[in-house]
Amino acid sequence: MQQGIFLSLGLLLVTGLLFSLLAARFHLPRIAVYALAGLVWSQDLLGGVTGLQLGDWTSTLTDTALALIAYLIGGSVTANQLKRLGKTIFACTVGEVAGAALVVFVAVWLFLNGEPDALSLAALLAVLAASTAPAATVAVIHEYRSRGPLTTTLLGVVALDDALGIVLFSLLMVWTIGTSLTGAISMAGLEIGGALLLGALMGWALAFFGHRVRNPHFFLPMVLSALLLSQGLAAVWHCSPLLTAMALGFVARATFKSGGERLLAPIEYLEELVFLVFFTLAGAHFELDVFLQGAELIVIYVIARVLGKLAGTRLAARWCRAPSAVSRYIGLGLIPQAGIAIGLALSLLNHPTFAEQGLLIVNVILASTLLYELLGPIATRYALMKAGEIRRTLS
Amino acid sequence: MTECIINLTVGQWIQQHQHGLVVVKPETALPDIVKALLASDSRDAYVVDKGRVLGHLGFNKLVSHLFSPERPVHSHRQLFAQVTTATAAELMDPHFTYCREDEPVNQVLHRQLQSDITDLIVLATDNTPLGVVRLTELVRESLQ
Repeated sequence: MQQGIFLSLGLLLVTGLLFSLLAARFHLPRIAVYALAGLVWSQDLLGGVTGLQLGDWTSTLTDTALALIAYLIGGSVTANQLKRLGKTIFACTVGEVAGAALVVFVAVWLFLNGEPDALSLAALLAVLAASTAPAATVAVIHEYRSRGPLTTTLLGVVALDDALGIVLFSLLMVWTIGTSLTGAISMAGLEIGGALLLGALMGWALAFFGHRVRNPHFFLPMVLSALLLSQGLAAVWHCSPLLTAMALGFVARATFKSGGERLLAPIEYLEELVFLVFFTLAGAHFELDVFLQGAELIVIYVIARVLGKLAGTRLAARWCRAPSAVSRYIGLGLIPQAGIAIGLALSLLNHPTFAEQGLLIVNVILASTLLYELLGPIATRYALMKAGEIRRTLS
Repeated sequence: MTECIINLTVGQWIQQHQHGLVVVKPETALPDIVKALLASDSRDAYVVDKGRVLGHLGFNKLVSHLFSPERPVHSHRQLFAQVTTATAAELMDPHFTYCREDEPVNQVLHRQLQSDITDLIVLATDNTPLGVVRLTELVRESLQ
């Protein structure tokens, strides 16, 4: 059994890495080829022939990887930096997240109207629509040497919305566990409050011991140990694991009082591995039947998410009187979607409540991510060009 | 390392090799710190407030943040630092490596290499800064 796990994981990772070498050679988007590498090992292709196992072990891996990402996002910002981000970045982030979630929810719910799981599917896709892909946005900004208010706002929003996406997803997970409205509210209070408290305590403990460590090589094992322990305790005490990890990162950095190099940089090195795992696993879960069955849903999700982001940011930017370049074009820069959405979708595969919808959601998110990977950079470049912030001459 | 260096204490070393310590205030902007480092040909700046050393800033880290728009890869942490225009106090490492003036010089080299610090700060017993031990000087004299 264990040999099967190592073989499956090893094959997925090695194929992903080999494909990424090709991607670098031909300037192809890296995450798309990771997904393609996973696709090669899906049940419809080599996975079915070789009997590749994608069992319960994937959930442990996905949950651990998601905890690492949540920790990094929690620790990425300090309270002082949040205060300095400014009204425009906050408003645009809330606008794009709320806009995308609302439009996706309504569109999917109307489309599936009458089906028994319409509400939960619509709610799940709505929260997954929140996050964006900072790497894709940064790549375009860097390539065209873009500078200006739209560029700055865009960078702030793509950094912030992943946190909001994780919080919304965690809240939805908590909400679905309750059996009644009052039950759900009290359960939610315990899960969220407990997660914040547990994360804060673990974060404080991590910083406390971190103060006493001089050798920088100890920080990776220290952070991993704290993170794994916190995830274990969160499971035992029924706290939201992602909120626990985020709170741990935020409090550890705030207590440690530094730029975060020691506590965060060692985990940042693992980020590429995390995305390699997410995308190859998602690709391996691709099923042609499920994809064809959900083709219309994919189209609706892709269009609704874009419309929601455009409308939400426009309204929010106008409300806070942002410069016209920001209010008119920022939505176009927020189309890419990547690792966080894939990781969150993968975590549903072994969730007791969403076991039946999990595979459909992974396929919808994977297909839409690949589409956004093609469309997103073009839209971001167009937005920056129209805003007059591109400095490099376009050929 | 030659016998004459091994027998020296850090205090004796900094009397023979006097280099200016690059000291900045917590609210100093990053471009000003980099200019100060370049002017004194140093690689390490120390954030000082009311005579107390609060933290350390390395040249590479500063340049990495200052020129982050020129780099295609950013973590969430770097994005927030870029958008909010980080100051010295926000980027510094408060857990910096240092040495005392009564320590033997030969013990300093390992510490400098382990923490990747070129200009290691020397602190008095009351933690006030006394000077720096420059790695390049130490290596140059050791090879002679």
